[in-house]
Amino acid sequence: MRSYWFGDVEDGQCTPAGGDALAKFDRARSITRMDTYVPPDWELAVACGACRDREDYIKKLREVCFAAAERDIREQYSGKDAELLQMVRTLDEMDTVINLLTERAVEWYQLRHPTFTRKYRKTPAHILVKNIRDKSRGALSFVAGEIERLSATRTELAKAVSGRANDVMPNTSALIGGLVAARLMSHAGGLSDLSRLPASAIQVLGARTALFAHLRTKSPSPKHGIIFQHRRVHNAPRECRGKVARVLAGKLAIAARIDHYRGVADPVFLESAQARIDLTGSVTGKVTGKVIGRGNEP
Amino acid sequence: MIWIGDVLVSQGEGGVYNERMLGNARVWDPFRSKLAALYHDGTGVELTSDTRVLYLGAANGTTVSHVADYVDVVYAVEFAPRPMQDLLEVARRRKNIVPIMADATRPEQYAPLVETVDLVYQDVAQPDQAMIAIRNSAFLKPDGKMILMLKTRSVDVRKEPVVVFEETMEALVSAGFVIQESLWLLPYHQDHAAIVCAKPGV
Repeated sequence: MRSYWFGDVEDGQCTPAGGDALAKFDRARSITRMDTYVPPDWELAVACGACRDREDYIKKLREVCFAAAERDIREQYSGKDAELLQMVRTLDEMDTVINLLTERAVEWYQLRHPTFTRKYRKTPAHILVKNIRDKSRGALSFVAGEIERLSATRTELAKAVSGRANDVMPNTSALIGGLVAARLMSHAGGLSDLSRLPASAIQVLGARTALFAHLRTKSPSPKHGIIFQHRRVHNAPRECRGKVARVLAGKLAIAARIDHYRGVADPVFLESAQARIDLTGSVTGKVTGKVIGRGNEP
Repeated sequence: MIWIGDVLVSQGEGGVYNERMLGNARVWDPFRSKLAALYHDGTGVELTSDTRVLYLGAANGTTVSHVADYVDVVYAVEFAPRPMQDLLEVARRRKNIVPIMADATRPEQYAPLVETVDLVYQDVAQPDQAMIAIRNSAFLKPDGKMILMLKTRSVDVRKEPVVVFEETMEALVSAGFVIQESLWLLPYHQDHAAIVCAKPGV
């Protein structure tokens, strides 16, 4: 028997496919083997009663393909991580834009105030921008005001990213915080991609330059990428940061898989994973005791 | 192919991607489209009003729209959802494009939808481009042609493009293809080669 989108053909006898366009497409997708393959033919479809002529054949086939493609696009976009991905990338791009604009506004401001300097002063950037807005007139003041509004939007967006991450990837977020969890997911390309990464790759996600420098030359391998942003890694003593990063990445890899395949927080796993990571951070260089629990598997 | 002076054009409804028009003809820019570059640099395959094409890696439908102007029907296969959105819009206006959202490395997924074709045109950013070509040759008529646009950097960034080019040709020849034309698409596209071959006679 040969199966096509319009029906099944056997010994010159044709059984037309039923259902709507989507049903026809799904049926067609699930049946073919390439080794004994004979491509479909519009005359066969006419004989099958699926269409009147070749023009009609292409028209009907297009209906099937459009319906399927539109549905598949919708399905791919409806994953809960798709929007989080756009949100976190927007956030990181806003940071870049805000920094660039701030630097530029300061340079501009310096021209107008030749005695202005940032040396020996610890004015935070947002206060600096506020001062520039207050003390300038015209376009520069507007630009500074715009930077302030961007910063306010950025703060709101960061909260939203964090909240969405807690929802989409509860276990990963519990271990490393929503914002960093979302950044890991964004670098991997999606939650399913993150869940397929080995822990060693998660450990150095975001340290691409250092990693390739290591692979090409004899420079040391990077100890951490994005996960450095988490306090457990950057607060750890220098000599055991690599170890903390490694253990944390190991637990993150498990957490991402639970998030992707189960989608709900697993308190038992989280508790034992937290304990294991804390242990690494506290007992510098001589972790011997093992924590009993499910989080302890490699 | 239709040339106005030394400008390659296609005849169809314009405004697909803000392409330049010469009268009623749409300019087919070799710097934007690798297929146009092939017609500028070499011979390619003549597209006629009864040609049926299987187009792998249709992307945004830019080149697809020009091919559709020339031929009977284009089966346009694309995997990624975002370019597919654009391709669907192009296909809504051009009734001889059949848009298929599927993975070109798995022809069995769309086989029940595709007729035998005169030309398989492949422009995919995948590491195993020769294998994809060989698998999809199942759709070719016995005298059908295959145009493979080889993105050498997608195969292996660490290898020299020339090496990738030679290895791909060897793979095609050992699968029984007869190579008719092979060239680099300079000066239009860096590290891209075109291979035109014919399916072994059955």
